Amino acid sequence: MKCLTLTDTEAPPASTATEVRLPLGILGFEQLTDYLLVANPGEEPFLWLQVKDEAALAFVVVNPFIVAPDYHPDLPQADVDFLGISDPEDVALFNIVTLHAGGRATVNLKGPIAINRHTMVGKQVVLANAADYPVEHPLPVSGAEP
Amino acid sequence: MLILSRKAGETIVIDGRIKVTVMRVDGEAVKIGIEAPANVPVHRQEVYDEIQHSNKRALTRQKIALPKLSGRHNQPGNLGPVEAQTQKHS
Repeated sequence: MKCLTLTDTEAPPASTATEVRLPLGILGFEQLTDYLLVANPGEEPFLWLQVKDEAALAFVVVNPFIVAPDYHPDLPQADVDFLGISDPEDVALFNIVTLHAGGRATVNLKGPIAINRHTMVGKQVVLANAADYPVEHPLPVSGAEP
Repeated sequence: MLILSRKAGETIVIDGRIKVTVMRVDGEAVKIGIEAPANVPVHRQEVYDEIQHSNKRALTRQKIALPKLSGRHNQPGNLGPVEAQTQKHS
């Protein structure tokens, strides 16, 4: 009989939380500037952008390149400067997902949240090519909340 | 709010570098030309309104079960591989 010890099994995947600061908040929520980016196992590719001091308030976000492979966001130079980005590798993009009644889900491709990976400071930017993308890009989902 | 009267073909200069020209007045519609440096974002107000409205709809106020994404997609890391482009626009 084999006796299983903890070292015999892989550690269960854990949730991760990363602090993110959005000094200008999110459009419509300018006063909310400090967040935790939370990734829970089993919820991929979705993550939570959770208000740091009010965990009940959160946005569901997703890496847009997973759900929109043809996405070519053009970040305005003013935002690139604001975030201190000097290389495309410096930036992580997360787009806000809306869960609608009836199980429909959409993602906002006009206004991604761009985060400097090194400083973890971000901003919801209005893309220079915002006109090319919808604010409600449909996501193929199943098992959503009614 | 500063209010100025301008005729078609006349221009307003902001900060010495942004030119707003009334191109044409056609009934209720005014065609406006804007010359601004590439690092000055110029958008219709509606874009901001649309994103703001979307954000308000998207905010969740309680922990909810997330849907499953169907179809093929890459498994991201915590921050995911991001191929963001920061190309300059002219």
